[in-house]
Amino acid sequence: MTTKLRFFDCNCSVGRTGYPHLYDIPDAAGLKEEMATAGIEEALVFHTAARDAHPPLGNSLLIEEIKGCQGLYPVWVVLPHHTGEMPPPGQLLAEMKARGIRAVRMYPGRAHHSFSPADWSAGELLSALDTARIPLLLDTEIVSWEEVFSLLKSYPRFPLIMANCSYRHNRFLYPLFEKFQNLYVETSRFMGGGAIEDVVAHFGAHPLLFGTNMPQYTGTAAVALLTYADLAAQDQEAIAGGNLRRLIREMWP
Amino acid sequence: MSEYSERIHAGLPLDDLEIIDLHAHLGPYFNMHIPAGDPDSMIRIMDRCGIQKTVLSPNLGWQSDFVLANTMMLQAVKAHRGRLYGACAVNGHYPELSLDELNRCFQERYVVMIKIHPAGTKCRLDDRRMERIYDFAARRKLFILAHTWLDKDPYGNQDLFASVAKSRPDILWIMGHSGGPYGSAHAVELAREIPNIFLDIALSMCPARQIEFFVKELGAERVLFGTDNPFIDPRPQIGRVGLARISHQDRVNIFGANARRYIRFDESAVL
Repeated sequence: MTTKLRFFDCNCSVGRTGYPHLYDIPDAAGLKEEMATAGIEEALVFHTAARDAHPPLGNSLLIEEIKGCQGLYPVWVVLPHHTGEMPPPGQLLAEMKARGIRAVRMYPGRAHHSFSPADWSAGELLSALDTARIPLLLDTEIVSWEEVFSLLKSYPRFPLIMANCSYRHNRFLYPLFEKFQNLYVETSRFMGGGAIEDVVAHFGAHPLLFGTNMPQYTGTAAVALLTYADLAAQDQEAIAGGNLRRLIREMWP
Repeated sequence: MSEYSERIHAGLPLDDLEIIDLHAHLGPYFNMHIPAGDPDSMIRIMDRCGIQKTVLSPNLGWQSDFVLANTMMLQAVKAHRGRLYGACAVNGHYPELSLDELNRCFQERYVVMIKIHPAGTKCRLDDRRMERIYDFAARRKLFILAHTWLDKDPYGNQDLFASVAKSRPDILWIMGHSGGPYGSAHAVELAREIPNIFLDIALSMCPARQIEFFVKELGAERVLFGTDNPFIDPRPQIGRVGLARISHQDRVNIFGANARRYIRFDESAVL
């Protein structure tokens, strides 16, 4: 590989956290510094307050925080609308389109945002996301693989991106990759020995999306995982950013 | 920007310095699929990023049969002399057998360290049955690599590790994973107090600026390169050190010079 990859990170955040790994890097300037250290050009970004405090609060803070920051694109955290905390799906998506939102994240489950990802609760929201082909990021550790299977089966159009998916999940992932084309894995923790090459050998490069989980984690590790991968150049480029750019182009059909 | 930025982004191995991986494994593991876990695959990946030497102990050494693990280790190091070196696995629940294994494995001159996994074996680091293992390490001035985690580990948490390291200043202790992703600050506190503790960087959840923090707060001379290969792919760890905002000399020390200072690697078979 000799051409420099153009990295587009699908898994970044801004905002303070209650339990930082080491350094508190709360703002967009700090994130940009981490991106520069690793050599990453673009990133999808959500606000930690949308995850850890309240989605509407964090989503609005995000828009202000990354305003004017070249290469940073907003991701909103969403909830079903039933409690009135978020607008009904049609209104929400219109607002997202107007704000240039590139993807959404959800945190279902009692330990997180206390809602069910099943149709009786999130069905209307999921249907709207599916129609608009909005990429949905889910943290791998907070949903069951049975829930992931149900989502993929019911909603074949939106890209479902498993974020922070560690190297221990292949035995769940491979049968799902065999069945569903809209399942994606973010690579920040997908670091099993030879794991990237093995997925590409079995399923092609399309299910893998470069990610870092900056600024909690460093981007330098995720970058080297891909630059040193034993893959064809076009597969490296697809994982580094090509796949994500395509998914964003395919939004709002 | 790092002097290695262009090489790393071009996918070229860092071949103008020595990279020695002191924390690696080998083979399968019960609860995960490891695509490149055999010695040949490990060597191939080492070559892609410029790791010259790897010290390994097989994955099954802590939750399964450590004797079988050591046999696998010996086969691997004999098949790849000068590239793969061994860390002898021991288990405090089997003190006599552990001593037998140490004597068997250290007949092979490519075995250079001892590996302990307190959480996996459920044997505390300060278990009295470990004492003769520690005596063996002390006589030979060996590194012991011990898996550690910040908390939730009654067998090998950072504080327990530090208390044992303090009580055995005649041994070089590697704090495996430096206590995990939230353990960095405490790892440095403990290593500052206890001079025979060295920090290991192997992690999949790699905190931002951790390498810089270790260098600034402790000094690069006490930080050792490790990867967890093939449990974790070694290539990300090359990026962490190679792209970190540290000096070239600090990088040289972490990647391999520190290991060279304490381990005499037999290279008689290397052409």
